[in-house]
Amino acid sequence: MLLIHCPYCEEDRPEVEFVNGGQAHIARPADPSSESDADWEKYLYIRRNPRGRHHERWRHIHGCGRFFNAVRDTVSDRFETTYKAGEPAK
Amino acid sequence: MSETVAADLVLLDQPFTAPGVRIAIAPAMMRYALRARDPAVLSAVIGRVLPSRIGDVVDGIACLGPDEWLALLPAGTVLENETGQLVSVVDVSCRAVGITVEGPGAVALVATGCPLDVERMAVGRATRTVFETVEIVLWRKAVDAFHIDVWRSFAPWLGAALVAGSPS
Ligand SMILES: [Zn+2]
Repeated sequence: MLLIHCPYCEEDRPEVEFVNGGQAHIARPADPSSESDADWEKYLYIRRNPRGRHHERWRHIHGCGRFFNAVRDTVSDRFETTYKAGEPAK
Repeated sequence: MSETVAADLVLLDQPFTAPGVRIAIAPAMMRYALRARDPAVLSAVIGRVLPSRIGDVVDGIACLGPDEWLALLPAGTVLENETGQLVSVVDVSCRAVGITVEGPGAVALVATGCPLDVERMAVGRATRTVFETVEIVLWRKAVDAFHIDVWRSFAPWLGAALVAGSPS
């Protein structure tokens, strides 16, 4: 069983308590109506999908309920670190 | 061959015992879902101490998340909730059913479906987690006694799963 460290619970918890929330640190444009269609499409749909180190959102849905961010290696599935939402990217 | 489907399951109507374990439906209790940005305001509104560390329980109130608590209190207990403060105090007493699992085999039985390291869970701690695919709140009340709070519609299945997982 893969264990994920929840930065709110401050515990390693089983993977099945979590859901993945996609790529992290995507800021919603402050003024969407001034965005070009291309930029808006980029915000909505275009993701990095890297091979290796990936910043992503996770939610401890069957635990404390909180969203947080994680750095996970998409090849090895190893979690490098997790940190609270709102903290700068690691 | 007969087949039991989940819809046919009924809630345990009397305690079930097997070697080392006893499973029973907990007496009716009051449950409150408590939310607040500022725990101090919530604490003042309900007139009770709130645990601040996730997983801790103080006088029946468990801290489930950074701004979320679940109060499991004796039937008849009423918490103040009409103060106009920015807190949420919601009576959810009938939302869940409590199932108690007791005995020297309790840890092993809970571990049949719960992915936590149940053995290492400290006595007195409570947390939201899962049993198989069903969400529960697991509260370790003693070394060999657990209270499992489960949403009502899942309770017959959970009771049956615990009975099925018991030693014969
Ligand atoms: Zn958590």
